[in-house]
Amino acid sequence: MATGLSAIFMTNRAALLRFLRARGAGDEAEDLLQDMWMKLEAKDLGPVSDPLPYLYRMANNLMLDRYRSSTRRERREQDWAVGAGGVMADPNEDIAVDERIILNQRLDEARGVLRTLGPRVEMVFRRFRIEGVGQKVIAEELGVSLTTVEKDLQKAYRAMMALKQKMDTE
Amino acid sequence: MMKEEALAWVIRTRDPRFDDWEAFTIWLEGDPERATAYDALMMADADMASILPSEPVAMPVAANDAGTPGRHIWRWAGGGAIAAALVAVVSIGMMNRTDIYTVATRPGETRSIALQDGTKIDLNGGTSLRLDRKDARFAALDSGEAAFTVRHDAGDPFRVTVGDAVFEDAGTIFNIVHVGGATRIGVSEGKVIYNPEAEAIALPAGRALTDDAEGLRVMDVAPAAVASWRQGRLVYLNATIGQVSQDIGRSLGITVNATPAARATRFTGTIRLDDDPARFFAGAAPLMGLSAVRQGDAWLLQESPPKEGNAPQS
Repeated sequence: MATGLSAIFMTNRAALLRFLRARGAGDEAEDLLQDMWMKLEAKDLGPVSDPLPYLYRMANNLMLDRYRSSTRRERREQDWAVGAGGVMADPNEDIAVDERIILNQRLDEARGVLRTLGPRVEMVFRRFRIEGVGQKVIAEELGVSLTTVEKDLQKAYRAMMALKQKMDTE
Repeated sequence: MMKEEALAWVIRTRDPRFDDWEAFTIWLEGDPERATAYDALMMADADMASILPSEPVAMPVAANDAGTPGRHIWRWAGGGAIAAALVAVVSIGMMNRTDIYTVATRPGETRSIALQDGTKIDLNGGTSLRLDRKDARFAALDSGEAAFTVRHDAGDPFRVTVGDAVFEDAGTIFNIVHVGGATRIGVSEGKVIYNPEAEAIALPAGRALTDDAEGLRVMDVAPAAVASWRQGRLVYLNATIGQVSQDIGRSLGITVNATPAARATRFTGTIRLDDDPARFFAGAAPLMGLSAVRQGDAWLLQESPPKEGNAPQS
């Protein structure tokens, strides 16, 4: 990897380590940093427009993966205990017809919840979360402040997360 | 409090342009619990994907200020003669206009708007309507119910966009309801053209059109029934209880549910609206051959215990 990314990595090694520790990596922060280095070495990523944010995001994703697999393992162990020796269903299997119906009902419900938040909040949220557009662009499009966009997003996130939680406990 | 902050950081770091990782580090260092809160919310964010409706956001904008080229634009087919009033549905990417504004009412609240051209719009409760400061002949009903008393101008018809449908006036008083993907229009005076550039269905006074999951249907409606909510009453000709309960809910600002059996019945008649739900249902439910029970903040319409089936004429 002869691109600028390795140089940026080396220059910001301490900052990245500090970030991983703050993210909860603890003693494993050094190892994770090493993993990152290996990944960077393994792939020729080509030029990256914002190398430092790119590296931070990579570190953040590593931590998210760790968290995700740890909770999944916990959940799987629970399922196993409840199932008392039965065969575990693969969570990635195709969705059955009746589940599809439930899924559609949930989509409708989510649509309804989004609608009650008002057209602007709905638009901001869709644009950000579904279409992946940045907040600054959205603010410019709508002619509102960045703070307004952020507040709208928080409002929509709270409503949608509460809805998802309600659905999961039903 | 920490959860609120964590959510703010989830939203910030999810932004494709986020770059203030140092500030994020400093926030995380403030309390080791913060990283866990952030992780949990990031996971909730990912889980949310399964319930996100993926339709694109559509925003009606007059075609003559179409904005930046190269963006997503599509128009109604044909219609050279009415080019001046052409309404295009444009992706939200073009919404960098401040002359489009939204007027909204809370459930139970009504509001009347006079446009510069002499057109009057009455908004029922729980309604959101967009208007254009630069174009008084445009309105988009995003949700709820509105009655339009339009000053007719054959050369510049008034157009209402509802979802991806367009209603064009031909000298008119009409009422539109748009709730949960279904659209209902009733015409009390004059004529309305539904999707003039496509189906071009003419709706004279006394006709109504419904567009919902079951498709497009045209039916009769009592002209006096159209927008009768403005006079504090609801008038129906063979309407489903599902529709009636929606209208009651919107007009009184309460949640009204109906059992499947009640939903299947139909109603013809006039219901007088009353701000006190208990008093209202005491009079209205027997009229529909139903009974109403309070369920917390909501009301449930169900079949009257001794009777069943269609509403008796009481």
